[in-house]
Amino acid sequence: MERTAPRRGIARAAVAAVLLAWLSVAGLGSVASAQEGGGEKEISHEAEECIELLEDGKKVDDCHEAPSPIIPETSELVWGLISFAVLAFAMMKFAYPALKKSMDARANKIRENLDDADRVKTEAESVLEDYRRQLADARNESNRIIEEARQTADQLRRDLMQRAEAEVAELRQRARDDIAAAQERATADLRTNVGALAIELAEKVVEANLDRDANMRLIERYISSVGSGSASK
Amino acid sequence: MTDRVDAYASALFEVARAEGALEMVEDELFKVARTFEANEQLRSTLTDAVIPVERRLGIVEDLLGGRAAPITTALVSFVVAAGRSRDLPAIIDKLVERAAADRKQVVAEVRAAIPLDAATVERLAAALSTATGKSVSVKAVVDPSVLGGVIARIGDTVLDGSVRHRLDQLKEAI
Repeated sequence: MERTAPRRGIARAAVAAVLLAWLSVAGLGSVASAQEGGGEKEISHEAEECIELLEDGKKVDDCHEAPSPIIPETSELVWGLISFAVLAFAMMKFAYPALKKSMDARANKIRENLDDADRVKTEAESVLEDYRRQLADARNESNRIIEEARQTADQLRRDLMQRAEAEVAELRQRARDDIAAAQERATADLRTNVGALAIELAEKVVEANLDRDANMRLIERYISSVGSGSASK
Repeated sequence: MTDRVDAYASALFEVARAEGALEMVEDELFKVARTFEANEQLRSTLTDAVIPVERRLGIVEDLLGGRAAPITTALVSFVVAAGRSRDLPAIIDKLVERAAADRKQVVAEVRAAIPLDAATVERLAAALSTATGKSVSVKAVVDPSVLGGVIARIGDTVLDGSVRHRLDQLKEAI
């Protein structure tokens, strides 16, 4: 619809221009024919004047003045100006608004297209900016994830190392404790065995040396200590 | 069980006193009880219900016949025939306690590595009487494990002056 209105205006202006051209041509034709019609009277007048001049003894060249090759006839100039004015008026009245409207529509359309192009370009730049920002975000996110993974791996490695060191230290401590306990048991066993052996030897020595007299002395000492209340209970 | 031991002890005590040989029977029975405790084979034989009573009584007769008074042998045989061989030491200890109580005395079981003569026993009884504040009747037992010295037990009280006790103390110290 937007395209048909300017075309219709252009067509209307063209028709008006053709009509005005035809009218001007037709007008000029009628003017020419009118000049031709009037010419017979002028020619007659001129012929009479020429005859008078010839009769006065003048030459033929004196009675006939040739028209200017540059300046048109006055009537032709008037009709031309009128036709131009009419044509210019018609053009101003009919063709110019249509042409102006068509040109405005076209300018508007071009402007809209330019605006659309600018808008699309702006949108494209915005989308491109979004893409770039998203790309940057994705790159930052990937870097962050990689950094987190690296930190997690480092932390895990440190934890494992600490745990392993703690286990090794615990195993060492346990081994030291076991060795110390074994040494203590061995020492205690040795002490017990040495004590038992010493007691056994002492028993044998006592049995060998404790004769009846010695035994009686022990019994007498016992009787004395019990009588004095110092015997062990 | 305690009532039964008391009943048997009372019966044996009454019989011995009726026979007028309480002190002798008491001493012999005390030695029998200590022998019974110390001899595992004798204890298992006399307490074995599979062995016929006549056989066990024959063993008692073989052990005590000619070494102890007939009344002592008869009392031990009575307990064995009644199937109370396992309670024989407890019955005899109860009898000894009762006899001592009848004399207003307490019993002191004295263990030594060598046999004690009568004079030593008397001095021991006097010393223990002084220590406990009671009249003490000493029952001496020969126990080689004592090694030397004396162990006296009066009821729950033990007065230990033995070499064995000293060696045990030395072992604990080591």
